[in-house]
Amino acid sequence: MKKLLLTFLAAGTIGLVAGAIAPARATEPDTLVIGKSGDPDNLDPAVTVTNNSWTASYPCYERLVRFKVVDGRGTTEVEGDVATSWTASADAKVWTFTLGSGHTFSDGTPVNAVAVKTSFERVIAAKKGPADLFDEVDHIDAPDDHTVVFTLKDAFAAFLSTLVDDGASIVNPAAVKQHEANGDLGQGWLADHSAGSGPYQVESWEKSSQIVLTPNPHWPGKLAFKKVEIRIIKEASARRLQLEKGDLDIIEDVPVDQLKALTTAKGVKVVDEPSFFVTYLYLNNMHPPLDNVKVRQAISWAVDYQGIIDGILLGQGTQMKGDVPVGLWGHDDNAMQFHYDPAKAKALLAEAGVKNIRLGYLYAKTDPNWESVGLVLQQNLAAVSITLDMQENAYPTMRQRLNKGDFDIGAGNWTPDYADPSMFMNFWFDSGLKGLPGDRAFYSNPKVDELIRAAKIAPTQADRLKLYGEAQKITVAEAPYVLLFQRNYQFAIRDNVKGYVYNPMQLQIFNLTDMSKN
Amino acid sequence: MSLASIIRRRLIFLVFVVFGVSVVTFAISHLIPGDPARMMAGERATEETVTHIRKELGLDRPVPEQYVTYIGKLLHGDFGISIRTQRPVFGDLRLFFPATIELAFYALLLAVVFGIPLGVLSAVARDRTIDQITRSISVLGISMPAFWLGLLLIFFFYGRLGLLPGSGRIDPTVAAPAHITGLFTFDALLTGNLPALGSALVHLVLPAATLGFIHLGIVTRQVRSAMLDALQDDYIRTARASGLTRTRVVFDHALRNALIPSVTVIGLAFGDLLYGAVITETVFAWPGMGNYVVQSITSLDFPAIMGFTVVASTAYVVLNMLVDLVYMALDPQIRDVG
Repeated sequence: MKKLLLTFLAAGTIGLVAGAIAPARATEPDTLVIGKSGDPDNLDPAVTVTNNSWTASYPCYERLVRFKVVDGRGTTEVEGDVATSWTASADAKVWTFTLGSGHTFSDGTPVNAVAVKTSFERVIAAKKGPADLFDEVDHIDAPDDHTVVFTLKDAFAAFLSTLVDDGASIVNPAAVKQHEANGDLGQGWLADHSAGSGPYQVESWEKSSQIVLTPNPHWPGKLAFKKVEIRIIKEASARRLQLEKGDLDIIEDVPVDQLKALTTAKGVKVVDEPSFFVTYLYLNNMHPPLDNVKVRQAISWAVDYQGIIDGILLGQGTQMKGDVPVGLWGHDDNAMQFHYDPAKAKALLAEAGVKNIRLGYLYAKTDPNWESVGLVLQQNLAAVSITLDMQENAYPTMRQRLNKGDFDIGAGNWTPDYADPSMFMNFWFDSGLKGLPGDRAFYSNPKVDELIRAAKIAPTQADRLKLYGEAQKITVAEAPYVLLFQRNYQFAIRDNVKGYVYNPMQLQIFNLTDMSKN
Repeated sequence: MSLASIIRRRLIFLVFVVFGVSVVTFAISHLIPGDPARMMAGERATEETVTHIRKELGLDRPVPEQYVTYIGKLLHGDFGISIRTQRPVFGDLRLFFPATIELAFYALLLAVVFGIPLGVLSAVARDRTIDQITRSISVLGISMPAFWLGLLLIFFFYGRLGLLPGSGRIDPTVAAPAHITGLFTFDALLTGNLPALGSALVHLVLPAATLGFIHLGIVTRQVRSAMLDALQDDYIRTARASGLTRTRVVFDHALRNALIPSVTVIGLAFGDLLYGAVITETVFAWPGMGNYVVQSITSLDFPAIMGFTVVASTAYVVLNMLVDLVYMALDPQIRDVG
């Protein structure tokens, strides 16, 4: 009641004065100002694993490859960036890249093969989150200034896709050497500085306040923005107000209820695109009665998917169909999809012969939707005579319990690190990755293991598609997870900012070289 | 008891308090279920990566050994490296703590400057209209949620009138003053940087008013109540009977005595402000300790949690010592008896 009253008070306040906002003042035409809800943790590509940090770090570095833009739309196909071409050996174990010229670090040093080699070796040696992306790399050679050769331990068809990740950024080895302290590989310094050949460099970072990026003086192209300011404004209403007044050009993390109001606000556009951000439920396949496939299927039939999407996301999402989301190759539009059918759920439970089912729903407040989803689920399952207990935990505790398999049903989100169906199929279902690393349902099916492991190393996309398709038929039918929805990605932007290209693999990353203001 | 002996006693007390607080915080932060190494590695990290990080952070060693190592480093001024940000904790504290102190200082200044006269006025005009208005203001201050008042002020003074900035510590176009104390207004004064002083003061108005208004209610009520007690004492009747003016009776006699218990409340209020600024800092994007600590707790970043606890408990003890000294200045009996 108190919470409701406070929300009412806040909404009333916003409503009271929102209509009387002073005229908008535009920010400088050569400055882009982005309003974020949280401070990045760290800007070192060898350390950070969060998109929130990549807003600042990604434009400061170049990588061997980048995502292709076709007809003004970002795709998940890659094209050369620092690399002009590449070849893979027949067994997809040896990848040889030829580097182009004209790429220069912000201190004037040219980017060469040694810089590429040492950058990857540094990430692997640092053994932080991004290192897992390059698990398959056995060794790297730089036979000459323009050639880099990666030798993998095993064939890995998606290797090229991993090279677009922030962790694959090319870092100036001279800067690393200069700022290395106590063998930290320059991590202390690179935490809040940059040493890349990207269009921008970190000029300053006032923690919890703002980050300023300025152009790399050696960047060959023309940049519309002489300054990019990333301001940290935690309160959503304050961000919205500053955008409407023209003090910010872009705001992230806009609550769905405010997005609706912003669509009609003067001088503001809302970017609303489907993303690969998936919300799903882990059914612990090792906990009876969830080890019974009929019980898992019954739960999947009992959920009111559209009710959740309409009621909680206010329609800003799509029900999952198959394990691979729409927009990513490997998605099967003909995959079987569960829908809200309590009668079918009851029939399956009767077939399973299990009665008086009582389950726990593990969630944290990290994602505000998890609690709402749990409450709907509680109601849906009650309709088929399953009792669901809400179990709220602090996020670190929840993660520990998920990792140990100490739960019945767990709430979760997933986004791919690289644009490949293996990010879903191999992570979610490989019984060798039980727990947080991927197989969070503790699912195990030797046939599925065989198919997805073969798909991971198959040489052609057609072969991989076939294998993943076959595996997906089994995994969807066996319902180890409840596939809820793919969320839309939304943010608001002033309408005088031009050139933004959306890419579902690059949430919170802006293509600053193509953007401008008028 | 002499001033020197009070300070000496308090400093010895400080050592015990900080030691006790550090043991308890360290134990609790290590007993909470959760794995800081996994929080740092990212949730999909392999066991090998998590094990490596655990070893690097020394989390694979027994907790008592970890504590001894931590205290050993702390005695050399090394607060350790934050698990979440991978930056030295001391550097983060040096940045965020002064911001919170500055906000709390100005909030308290507003609460005291307005709260004491309002409390006196309310007591002198007991049960009259002015008293009713003052009491209503103090109830409003105590009961009004900080986020609501903050948003209201932002929408009105920034959104509607465009008079004051809605967030931050200083205008992005104005260079922050050179770091001496970390308090922008003080540093700007010390370096004669007037544009920075102006900008910092303007940015302080709304957050300090929000935070201060809550404590204005507390100070007003406390002063009113203490004044009412004092005004009924025998010595006040004697003072009045001896022909002293009403102003002298109120300010020279009643207020001086009423202020003694109020000093405790004001001192504790400053402590509350240090801890309780989280919401105000969030609404006004004020880069203080509040958000830093909340994020540290949710990521099990125990070096940062420990760093904050040690600094905050030290500040609290020092604050109490200052309150005692002010007591002595106000009340000769305490000074003499000790």
